[in-house]
Amino acid sequence: MADVMKEKLLETPEKRRTDGVSQWSIAWRRFKKNKAALAGLIIVGVIIFIAIFSPIIARYPLNYLASFNEEGKIRVPPSSKYWFGTDYIGRDVFSQIVYGAGNVLYVGFGAAAIAMSLAIVIGITSGYLDGLVDNILMRITEIFLVIPFLLILLVFLRVAMTIAPSGVGGLTTVTLIIGLFSWAPNARIIRGEVLRVKQNEYIEAAVALGASKWRIMFRHVLPNVLHVIIVLTTLQIATAILVEAGVSFLGFGDPNSVTWGQQLQGASEAVKEAWWEGIFPGMFITLLVLGFNLLGNGLRDALDPRLRE
Amino acid sequence: MILEVKNLVKHYPLTSRGVFLKKEVGVVHAVDGVSFSVRKSETFGLVGESGCGKTSTARAVLYLDPPTSGEIYFEGQEIGRIFKSKNQQEILKLRRKMQYVFQNPYASLDPRMTVADIIMEPFVIHKHVPKEKWHARLYELLELVGLEDYHAERYPHEFSGGQRQRICIARALAVEPRLLIADEPVASLDVSVRAQILNLMQELQQKFGIAYLYISHDLSTVRHICHRVAVMYLGKFVEIAETSELFSSPLHPYTQALLSAIPVPDPENKRSRIVLPGEVPSPINPPKGCRFHPRCIYAKEYNCIENVPELVDVGNGHWVACNKVSG
Repeated sequence: MADVMKEKLLETPEKRRTDGVSQWSIAWRRFKKNKAALAGLIIVGVIIFIAIFSPIIARYPLNYLASFNEEGKIRVPPSSKYWFGTDYIGRDVFSQIVYGAGNVLYVGFGAAAIAMSLAIVIGITSGYLDGLVDNILMRITEIFLVIPFLLILLVFLRVAMTIAPSGVGGLTTVTLIIGLFSWAPNARIIRGEVLRVKQNEYIEAAVALGASKWRIMFRHVLPNVLHVIIVLTTLQIATAILVEAGVSFLGFGDPNSVTWGQQLQGASEAVKEAWWEGIFPGMFITLLVLGFNLLGNGLRDALDPRLRE
Repeated sequence: MILEVKNLVKHYPLTSRGVFLKKEVGVVHAVDGVSFSVRKSETFGLVGESGCGKTSTARAVLYLDPPTSGEIYFEGQEIGRIFKSKNQQEILKLRRKMQYVFQNPYASLDPRMTVADIIMEPFVIHKHVPKEKWHARLYELLELVGLEDYHAERYPHEFSGGQRQRICIARALAVEPRLLIADEPVASLDVSVRAQILNLMQELQQKFGIAYLYISHDLSTVRHICHRVAVMYLGKFVEIAETSELFSSPLHPYTQALLSAIPVPDPENKRSRIVLPGEVPSPINPPKGCRFHPRCIYAKEYNCIENVPELVDVGNGHWVACNKVSG
């Protein structure tokens, strides 16, 4: 009788799935309770929404010299016609912020993707294969940690912009360079986490079962350091956005792409007269970075395996 | 003989960090020349205090930490040669025959995998079960270790210590091993659950004829499950005997002291407990002569400070390494 029932059960594997609660669903439950983290998620969500629907949300076409063309005036203060005022050549600040959202996120996600891919590969191989490989990789990482980040970034950007004059994927160059120079701290943190996970007996159990190095690294080590990687990624996005804004403000960004940092640079000449030109892009940078930070901190708390409900 | 270990030595280098490479500043003599054998379908016990080299022996046998020297024969094959040959196919074959159950069931299951994934991972690695039979085999294994079908989709953190140890056993059994090395499998479990796990292990042995290398510091569980026992002290064996023989007539002073420390559930029984003076010496600088001599009352009489006792057969498969016994 029991055997017959069992066979029936085996025929329908979908039905047999009972409520196994994965650590991810526990984390989500914990995340939902965290108000600050939800706020971060909403901020980031809204800005992504703005970026996707920018042509609909913006009130004027891209780079349209609204107040100059229509009234012959620049730096018009905020009004119902120009919500956030207009800038030094008469563009609507609000519309430019909306168009810039996509570029800002592109730099953030792009640079974080590059930096994190490098950090993951270097962190995991260095942590899992110790000895000489670890030593060499970590010394390289340390070189990247001690060079003055911003300075080298500016030099590389200037060189890159001279070689490939702006217009030819200028923003991509910026993204690439930020990504290539910010993986080092993340690689170190991931390596440390791998060293911790490696101590666990389930790794030894996998070795005793005959699992290959690759299998252990990607099926056992990676999933168990994934929570750290997720948190680092969100924080890295925030950092990359800030760095791009800083670089653009200093005049080393891509002058042909609209980003909030570029807007700040334009505003820097007349901070006293046209406060609106800088305040609003600055506010958006702060808000987005805050959003990613809140999200990252919330994820860190939610994904910490040491915490229990 | 399923497993034969000859003169196994495992030394761990003590290092301090240099600029690029580590400097060796000393050697931990974890295991210093032990020889033993495990027969088919037998449970061979390895007892001793913490830090005496039990786990190092087990890890060396499994090549989790390659031994410093010595030979290990598994079903007549020298396993060191196979592992060093880097022939993945041969190594996998060997891995399939020997499995390990760890001391801490809370750390030996991957928290991100379901029980089904954990138990079926051996099938992925060894491909010894056709894919369409994976699930059937999974439920078979779960039933074998006393778990329910619906446990398959759950995660390790949803189980108690005893259940987790059952999962570990199921994972080890998934490759149909000939030898199971159980390193204190019940030490971290509740006393009430211990008996269940030990009985399960005995049942499985009767069913499949698996040999066990059972490592423990708990003499009462050793007495319950083992056929033969080896007593280890500071990296060396001091006594090997059939379980009943060892418990009824221990010959080595260390074994005698160990046995006298087993609590007896009888308040009327005034047993004479042998209290050893001092502590276990450091394995970095083990004592010369008999390693037990600083704590032994017979040391002066038999000049054990210089004479290293050899393991000698005193009949009935009872071996002792003591100058007092061998004269």
